[in-house]
Amino acid sequence: MHIQDGYLSTSVCLATGAISLGAVGYSLHRMKDSLGERTVPLTGMMGSLIFAGQMVNFPIGLPVSGHLMGGVLAAAILGPWAGCVAVTLVLVAQWALFSDGGLLALGANVLHMAVLGSIGGYAVMTTVRKLLGGGFRGTVAGSVVAAWLAVLAASAVFCLEFRLSYSAAEFDFGNIFTLMVTLHALIGVGEAIITGFVVSVIYQQRADLIDAAQASRNSVAASVSRVVAAGLVCALAVAAFAAPFASGLPDGLDSVAERFRIAAADQSASGLFADYDAIPMAGWQGLSVSVAGIGGALVVFAAAVLIGRAIPMTAPTIAAEATGE
Amino acid sequence: MSDFWDRYGRSVSICHRMPPVLKLVLAISVIVAGVAIPVRYWPAYGVLGCLVFAGHSIAGIPLGYLIKRLLIFLPFVGSMAISLPLSQGLDRGWDLMLQIMFRGCLAFLVSLWLVNVMPFEQLLVTLRKLKVPAVVVAILAFMYRYVFVVWDELDKMRTARKVRSFSGGSLWFRWKTLSQMIGMLLIRSLNRAERIHGAMCSRGWDGEVRWLDDSD
Repeated sequence: MHIQDGYLSTSVCLATGAISLGAVGYSLHRMKDSLGERTVPLTGMMGSLIFAGQMVNFPIGLPVSGHLMGGVLAAAILGPWAGCVAVTLVLVAQWALFSDGGLLALGANVLHMAVLGSIGGYAVMTTVRKLLGGGFRGTVAGSVVAAWLAVLAASAVFCLEFRLSYSAAEFDFGNIFTLMVTLHALIGVGEAIITGFVVSVIYQQRADLIDAAQASRNSVAASVSRVVAAGLVCALAVAAFAAPFASGLPDGLDSVAERFRIAAADQSASGLFADYDAIPMAGWQGLSVSVAGIGGALVVFAAAVLIGRAIPMTAPTIAAEATGE
Repeated sequence: MSDFWDRYGRSVSICHRMPPVLKLVLAISVIVAGVAIPVRYWPAYGVLGCLVFAGHSIAGIPLGYLIKRLLIFLPFVGSMAISLPLSQGLDRGWDLMLQIMFRGCLAFLVSLWLVNVMPFEQLLVTLRKLKVPAVVVAILAFMYRYVFVVWDELDKMRTARKVRSFSGGSLWFRWKTLSQMIGMLLIRSLNRAERIHGAMCSRGWDGEVRWLDDSD
């Protein structure tokens, strides 16, 4: 997930760095009045935890494995501002200790994982939670949806940055967008499931932690800005799906419809998610992105429901195991 | 494990004795040059490459270590870069992929040099001198202090899980147990943070970060 140096041009790195610097600076300013003198131990410990949590490998049935990214998780516990700072400092430390992620690309990584992940993710989470009336289900569903949308929004922003880094003549951007969005719809499902499970365990054991982070000032301005931020994240996620249509199919809606028909005929023969090889072939962008989007949304929805139902039954056993140190 | 990442950070060489700000500036300028110079000026890349390897050899970082680290790094940059030709039907994008991989490796080697000539504590002191907000440096220091503790805790939980043979099961079940492990780790860590906060308060902590004279 980390962008290394060399992907983005220097000017794009500087621009994303400036945006991230502004966002993190503002977060630092806001963080102090919500956490007070607990800022340093709480944020630092959260950073260490995300750092360590990323060492836990989740098997996906392939030689590679996934891990937690933690933006939404940090925001769920610490609130958006301290969450953003914690994730930013994790990225800094990963560069300074592991040379993981580039130095110039740090601004872009912070924008994707800390700003979109924590601040944007928090806005989505709170909005969904309010819509569902709070409580266990609402909290878990909110975190699941937020984690998925935050990953997708990050992939949309990455595509934009990538597009700005290279001249259009060099190659076809529609295809690279398709691949990126399809992959991130899947990666996002993983992140959503992990975040949902972790948040539900915490809600079972220490609901006060999450409620404290959620009980921010309920002024009109705050809720309006939350809705705006949530809308922005959703818009970015939608843009991620729309990008291949816009850039890969310049001849308009007719051709979209045409390709949909052809693609739909082929699709029936070949299984639901099986067609990643087909992505490089021209004309498949629309279908594969739609399948990834709709499929991903369904899986995320199912995960939200399943996690909400699965955890309460097993919670006592886990508590017993965990406390018997 | 922690020894692997900055194994040569405490050895002695001209590179290690350089003023820390100079190290940072040197590393950043080589990375910027590596990303910004267009590929058609390829001799410049030869110069940069020689510079990087000279830096490593002066700092006394052995070649075997560099190769080991590069081998771990290559799959990451490679898997992302391969998506370029893959998305172009395997007939275009190879040159861009090579360019990205080359630049990525160069920047990685420079970062590796910096990590190995500048221990984390020194980076923190340098950040202080560069007027980074005190609270940021304090959080980073706190993180560095406790990340190893949390790692140990995670190791204990892993061992406990293995001993009780929670390993098999469906993918869904495994994801659930692993996530619950992270959740429990989080709760324990936050409990620990509360204890530490109590200890800090009883020693007069009031939220203001104060530093001893950091002239070293």
